[in-house]
Amino acid sequence: MRKKTFRPDVDAPEWKGGHSPYDIIKEGTIALVAVSLLTLLLAIVFGSPDEHAITIKTWSNAAPIDFASTALSELNGTSTSAQYGAPYNHASTGPQLGPFTLAKWVGVRIAVNTVRDFVIAPLKSQPNQPVLSTDLSQWSQASSSTRASWVANYTKAAGKMTFANGQVAVNATNAGPVPVFIEDLTQMARSGALDQALITQAGFYTTNYTLPLLFLADGTYLANLAQKQHLSGDQWGMMNETGSYPGQAWLWLYTLWYQIPPMTTSGNADVLVMALMMVLSLGLLLVPFIPGIRSIPRKTRVYRLIWREHYQTQEKT
Amino acid sequence: MSWYGSLAALVPLDNLGHYLHWHFIEISIANVLVIVLMAVTFVAAILLPFPGRRRRKENP
Repeated sequence: MRKKTFRPDVDAPEWKGGHSPYDIIKEGTIALVAVSLLTLLLAIVFGSPDEHAITIKTWSNAAPIDFASTALSELNGTSTSAQYGAPYNHASTGPQLGPFTLAKWVGVRIAVNTVRDFVIAPLKSQPNQPVLSTDLSQWSQASSSTRASWVANYTKAAGKMTFANGQVAVNATNAGPVPVFIEDLTQMARSGALDQALITQAGFYTTNYTLPLLFLADGTYLANLAQKQHLSGDQWGMMNETGSYPGQAWLWLYTLWYQIPPMTTSGNADVLVMALMMVLSLGLLLVPFIPGIRSIPRKTRVYRLIWREHYQTQEKT
Repeated sequence: MSWYGSLAALVPLDNLGHYLHWHFIEISIANVLVIVLMAVTFVAAILLPFPGRRRRKENP
C-alpha cells in the first residue's frame, strides 16, 4: 500500500512530546464562575433602560387630537390597521413577494374589524350612558350608506378638530351619532377605560394586547416617540434600544437592507429583506460547495496565523 | 432615596445616547463600542498565544 502524502494544511503530525491531564469540569466551572462574576459586576456598573409602558390613556392625555383623529380613522376605515389585509382583514393583498401573495396564503388569522373592535364594542361596554346608548341604537339601526354618510360628513369637518376644556370639538353637520362616539371614546381613553375594554374583549384574564397595540400604532404619538429614541426602521431601528443601551449589533445585516432601495420605500420591505436573508443564509450553508468562495480560507491563510505554532513546528521538521 | 436606590448603577443608561450620522447610517455610540469590542476580541483571539504554550515549551 502506498504511504499517504503528508498535507500540512490538513494533517497533523504525530505528537511525540509529553502529555498532561485536562479537566473539562474544572475548566467549565472556572468559566461559569468568571462569567457570573463579570455579569454581576457589569450589572452593578451599568444600569438598564426603564421606560414606562405607553398606554392608550397616556397617549390620549398627551395628544388628545391625535387620539381622536386616529379613532376617526378606525371608524372611516383609513387607518393602517383597517387597510392592512391579512392576518387582520381582507382590505388589501398584504405583503407579497412578486406573484406570491404570502399574507393572503396565511389568511385572516386574527380578525380585526376596526369599526367594531376599536369603536363600537368599547363604547357598548360603558354602563349607565343613556345618550350613548341611544346613539349606539341609532348606529346599529342605520343602513350602511347612512353610516357612511355620517362618517364622511364628520371626516370633512375633522380637519379643524380642536380640543379645549377636556372635550373634542368638531363643527360637523349631519354626522349622526359620530361626534358622540368620538367624544365618548376620547373620554374613555383618557380615563384608562379604553385600555381595559380593548384588552378584556378576549376574556377576563388575558395577555393578548393585539388591539391596544394596533390602535396605538395607527396614531402618530407612538411613532413620534420612537423617532425621538432613534427606534424607527429608517435609523437602523433593530440595532437600537431605548436610552443609551447597546442593541443587537449582530443583526446589522438584517437592518442594512432596509436602508437600500427598493426596500427603503417598498411596502413589502419585510418580505423582500426576509427573502434576501434566506438566499444569503442558503449561500452561507452551501459555502463548502461554491467554487471560489470555498477557497477563501485557503487563500487568505488566516488559519495559518491561528495555528502558527503547528506550522512553525512543521517547517522545522 | 430608598436604600436600594443608593445601589443604583454607577453608569445609568436611561438617558438618550449619542449618535453618529453618516449618509444613511445612523448608529449609537453604544453600538459602535460593542462592534469595536467584538472586533478587538476577534483579533485578540487570533493573535494572542494559547494559554499554557509557554509551559509546554518549558516542559516538552
